[in-house]
Amino acid sequence: MSLTIALAGNPNCGKTTLFNALTGARHHVGNWPGVTVERRSGAFEQDGLTLEVVDLPGTYSLAARSEDERVAAQFLASPEVDLVLNVLDASNLERNLYLSTQLLELGKPVAFVLNMVDDAENRGVHIDVAALETLLGGPVIPTVGNRAQGIPELKALLAVLARGESTRCRRITVDYGHDIEGELAKLETEICRDEKLEAAMPPRWLALQLLENNAEAKRRVAESHASEAISQQLTKSFAFLEPHLGADGATLIAERRYGFAHGLVKEVATAPDEGRTPTARLDAVLTHRWLGIPIFVGILALVYSVSFILGKIPQDWIAEGFKALSDFAGAHLPAGELTSLLVDGVIPGVSAVIVFVPVIMILMGCIAFLEDTGYMARAAFIMDRLMHVMGLHGKSFIPLIMGSGCNVPAIQAARTIESRQDRLITILVTPLVSCSARLQVYIVIAGTFFTPFKAALAIIAMHFLGLGLAVLMGRILRSALFAGPSSPFVMELPPYRLPVLKATLIHMWEKGSVFLTRAGTTIFAGATLIWFLSRYPGIANQEWTAQYQEQRQAVAALKLPGAEEEDRLRALQLAHESRIVNTSLAARLGQKASPLLRPILDPDHKRAEAWKDVIALTAGFVAKEIVVSTMAVIHQASDEPKPGERLSPLQVSLRDNSGLSPLTALAFMVFTLIYTPCLGTVAMIRREAGSWGWAGFTIAYGLVLGWGLAWITVAAGRALGFA
Amino acid sequence: MTQNLSIPLSDLQPGDQGEVIQVQAQGQIRQRLLEMGFIRGARLRVEKLAPLGDPMELVIKGYHLSLRRDESACILVHRVA
Repeated sequence: MSLTIALAGNPNCGKTTLFNALTGARHHVGNWPGVTVERRSGAFEQDGLTLEVVDLPGTYSLAARSEDERVAAQFLASPEVDLVLNVLDASNLERNLYLSTQLLELGKPVAFVLNMVDDAENRGVHIDVAALETLLGGPVIPTVGNRAQGIPELKALLAVLARGESTRCRRITVDYGHDIEGELAKLETEICRDEKLEAAMPPRWLALQLLENNAEAKRRVAESHASEAISQQLTKSFAFLEPHLGADGATLIAERRYGFAHGLVKEVATAPDEGRTPTARLDAVLTHRWLGIPIFVGILALVYSVSFILGKIPQDWIAEGFKALSDFAGAHLPAGELTSLLVDGVIPGVSAVIVFVPVIMILMGCIAFLEDTGYMARAAFIMDRLMHVMGLHGKSFIPLIMGSGCNVPAIQAARTIESRQDRLITILVTPLVSCSARLQVYIVIAGTFFTPFKAALAIIAMHFLGLGLAVLMGRILRSALFAGPSSPFVMELPPYRLPVLKATLIHMWEKGSVFLTRAGTTIFAGATLIWFLSRYPGIANQEWTAQYQEQRQAVAALKLPGAEEEDRLRALQLAHESRIVNTSLAARLGQKASPLLRPILDPDHKRAEAWKDVIALTAGFVAKEIVVSTMAVIHQASDEPKPGERLSPLQVSLRDNSGLSPLTALAFMVFTLIYTPCLGTVAMIRREAGSWGWAGFTIAYGLVLGWGLAWITVAAGRALGFA
Repeated sequence: MTQNLSIPLSDLQPGDQGEVIQVQAQGQIRQRLLEMGFIRGARLRVEKLAPLGDPMELVIKGYHLSLRRDESACILVHRVA
């Protein structure tokens, strides 16, 4: 026998910690159908029963306006739910009880957890649990979620309730007063004319939502055959209540609910001590008028360095490990299609996926830490003014800044933004922020065509251009996609709390594994496709392979000293690969597509090698840094400088043979910045925005915008007299 | 009788206390503000403004909340000494 318990509660009430304490580490993370709200479920055994627990998104209400609320309201009303477990923050009882007044209307047994009783006690709030139980009409278990206190009692109670052996759930609802109750009853009668409507949710609950002018409830009614009778009654009810009670339905109902909550709290809890709480003392510094911003910048710098400087160490190990594996396989397997598939396709593909994992886990760990301590809300509070001007939310700031390390975890970090609009816009503009992989391309190109000082300026300019474009696109997308008022910024500043290490670790693990399973496959498939395009048909040419083998044997026969032999062999390998890549499908595509890029990369039609850029840029779709290694192959020149020389052979070749001028080189950098996010980012956008459509949109607008800006660069540069 | 003058919440200064008279916002924002406790007669105290001057932090129903000027301007309150 298995039963389902829905865990409901406000944000910051310790629900997730409680969920972890109940289910241990055994949970499943996915998305709710059709939306990008995380769905976490797990199970535990008690007295021979399997109890399934579903952690609902934290909400203040069930009014079904935001995605989170819609998910919670729909799931709670579904027959799947056997029992509702309402988690209450004992130190913030009154506001937490607002949601409870709605949960009590759902017609399901409700049990309560009074969480973080220790916090409440510290503030001098003592709660009479027995009295609370009587007034709420359901069992109440006090717990301290982060110390697993009260968890065994809670499990035992849930098992008893699940078996239906308890008589402790008495189904109390708020009394809305004679006038409102009268109108509710009339509405219920009309609702009950439609059996389907009556069965979907308790008629009283629907009637309440109608009186609150809830759009979702109205939509439901509009689909019913009784809609006319219900609407007429609703109009009559409004006409009676508003003049009679001096306010509209929504206000009246909210007032009654808070009246219930206020009365209840007065009855069962002592008033908190006067005097400053630890949170107020911390906030006196952390959100201080002058100190707030410097502290925020400091914390941001710390998170950034931990993620991208510390995270780079394991990242380098992984990259080097895979490189060594690929070199080893290349040296020991006979040259040919299968070897190339393994060496140039599979191994780099897997590597391209796994390199992201350390930085994702570290950054997500940091963000979970900031979130769980309560500082994230303060960060948004501090930065909101600036971000609001840009058409974004205070919480968009951190993802945008983290994007300059790597776009992939930055997009994942946008999860902390509650409003779907703000989150989507943040996700869509983050790829414009120049990441560290693009930096490698700039260094090669700028280093070739500019003096060191100008190169540094150009590289810095790319980063500012990326941020500026993100801001500009944010504004454009806001007005183009979400015309109308922006979502309200009504954000709780929860008390500071010490996070539970275990919860942070679980969170990191989940983010890492979700990335591997969901985004990993996309990246891998894309990498294999690019391999195919850039190696065929040359790789299948037996004659070339045989020639390559002969040349290698000839070099080996010379018995040269170790280092020289290695150099010669490497040159042969480069020549062989160059031959394959320069005749590949990608090269043909490059020749076909180069007229498209001519206005930006070859305005004088003088470059014979313009098509090679297309190959490099196509390969860069897998990961931007691959642009450099691909250029090395197509220009048949190593990208590692010889000792004592400033420029690598690749850079010399680019300078002497590619036909790029400083101006077109700059256009190339601009285009590289914008043209498309890398595969990892695309896969992450697809996952976080919830559709391939948005991922495709990001690629498309990137290409258009990148081309446009590169064109402007060339046109403006020429107008100013640069070549 | 300056005490009973109704003013927008955005006019209160840090340290000021007020009592909600009415939420003038419409639609989504109105519902959200009501749920968060901005009902007639609710007491609130303005805690501080963010370093850049907006949003504001206030205490209502015993918890801390931040509101942008856009939202706080549509809540009518009267000052309470």
